[in-house]
Amino acid sequence: MSVIEVNELSKVFQVPKKEPGLVGAVKGLFRPRYEDKQAVNQLNFQVEAGEIVGYIGVNGAGKSTTIKMLTGILMPSGGTVRVLGRDPHRQRVENAREIGVVFGQRTQLWWDLALIESLNLIAKIYDVPPARYKTALEQFTETLELGDLLNVPVRNMSLGQKMRSELAAALIHQPKVVYLDEPTIGLDLIVKERIRDFIKMECGSKGMTVMLTTHDLGDIEELCQRVIIIDGGHVIYDGPIETIKKRFGKFREITFETVEKAKPLDLPEGAETLLAEERKVQIRFDRTVSTASQVASAVMNQIEVKDFSLSEPDLADIVKQIYNGALDMEAK
Amino acid sequence: MIQTLNRRFSVYSALFAMIPKMFMAYQLWFWAGMVMNIISITILYFFWDAIYANSAAISGLTREQTINYILLAFFFMPLVGNDLLWEFGSNLREGLMIHHLLRPVNFQMMNYAQQLGGLVTRMAFQLPIIVLAVFLFDLKFPSDLNTWVAFLISALLGFTAMFFFSWVLACMTFYTTEIWGLGVLIEGITIFFSGSLVPLAMMPEWLRTIVLSVPFAQALAVPVGLLSGITPLSDAPRIWLIQLVWIAGMGVLSNLVFHFAVRKITVQGG
Repeated sequence: MSVIEVNELSKVFQVPKKEPGLVGAVKGLFRPRYEDKQAVNQLNFQVEAGEIVGYIGVNGAGKSTTIKMLTGILMPSGGTVRVLGRDPHRQRVENAREIGVVFGQRTQLWWDLALIESLNLIAKIYDVPPARYKTALEQFTETLELGDLLNVPVRNMSLGQKMRSELAAALIHQPKVVYLDEPTIGLDLIVKERIRDFIKMECGSKGMTVMLTTHDLGDIEELCQRVIIIDGGHVIYDGPIETIKKRFGKFREITFETVEKAKPLDLPEGAETLLAEERKVQIRFDRTVSTASQVASAVMNQIEVKDFSLSEPDLADIVKQIYNGALDMEAK
Repeated sequence: MIQTLNRRFSVYSALFAMIPKMFMAYQLWFWAGMVMNIISITILYFFWDAIYANSAAISGLTREQTINYILLAFFFMPLVGNDLLWEFGSNLREGLMIHHLLRPVNFQMMNYAQQLGGLVTRMAFQLPIIVLAVFLFDLKFPSDLNTWVAFLISALLGFTAMFFFSWVLACMTFYTTEIWGLGVLIEGITIFFSGSLVPLAMMPEWLRTIVLSVPFAQALAVPVGLLSGITPLSDAPRIWLIQLVWIAGMGVLSNLVFHFAVRKITVQGG
């Protein structure tokens, strides 16, 4: 049995529809009209025990809505969710005992109190046996470098310190399932690195099942073997991260800075213009069909080039292309 | 069974114990409150002293009885003034309600434990002022143990009824998102309807009927009436019974209202 099972899961929100103008505003007071907004549309996926799954999509794609339904806080409009065999909404309290949650943009710590107070209370709430709590606390103090923070009120912490504390608070009761909603948002590279290391080590060694949403593809590359990409409430990709890299890895991009104004160009087979601006041309080519020198010389024959650079597409570009239907085209 | 109860108790007492620590976080607030309270009781004392300048008794209450009642009502204000409304309001605005609802404990019990912690803490903070009033304004406490027991039971019952009632009011913040106006309005109503400004006996009959048909007075005027000796001790069982009815009614209502209000989060996504 999978740890997380999502079947035909849908969520429709009713958003008030505002009519323009004063008349519309007055009408809205008496008879508010609502519009249905489909946030999540017939999602299907399973997550097995011990998997770390990257759950990605643009803002408004339905990531947080899905996570909220998985935690049980949000009631689905259709379809079913099972987490460890339970319906998380109906059995919210039982489910809550087994899960750990970090919402990157809000805190679960007591703002005015020293971190240690929050952790003590959380350990009580989740019935962590004192001996196990002590060991976990010692270990977290070391791996998350909390030593100097335990007696600091959360309101006095920096963003990075706060996030390390949040992780400790979410994992201190050793949950079986962990939801991390943008755990590295707004952090600098060093803190990001430390947090990724911690997640990898802590969740990996304890066999926790992790769903991770993020806009930072570095997180995904570092932590996840599998990604689920959603857009418009649909799954548009679900599979190993390697496939994505391989499928898009055969492409390269050349960016030319031109002296004269960019114009339509004749390109060798397998190459296409991605972008043509005032003095900048960006071309993508399939390196199994053409070579970089073929593309470069073709361009240089037609237009005066000041500078150019060659780049491998990073995951951000790949995701953007999937959004734009690149995977559909590949499939055809 | 016993074990489960034990465990629940340990969770809720830990929640209870968090509150004094949170109060201590703001020391300036503590001292400012102290100064405010000294000014307040001084004003109250001289105000009622002036009213009694020309009469020995008003509505059957002597000067000593009234002043004693007013001072006691002032000290026990924490019984009626829980901050559930502000709590809900700030949780909703900052999107923290989700985290509270995701804890594996009963959400209402969790809040009750914390409000009880708030009550005990606020009362402890009143102690220096109480001592001051005993010396300056000749404040008197009953020496009879039975009166104290009757008062404590009635105070706890009244506080509980008021907690459930505040819960119903606090659920409004799910819909309004704005709480300042609502909060100030309710604070004003609380001060008057709880009987902290004027003893219930001095109110005209029709007003007293209104005051007794909302739960504010149950948490303040009623228990303090017992403590100050205005209400005879023999009334205590009847008072407890009425308070229990309030608790039952408000308890059911609060859960019903919350069931619908929380759909703002669980159905509409907050």
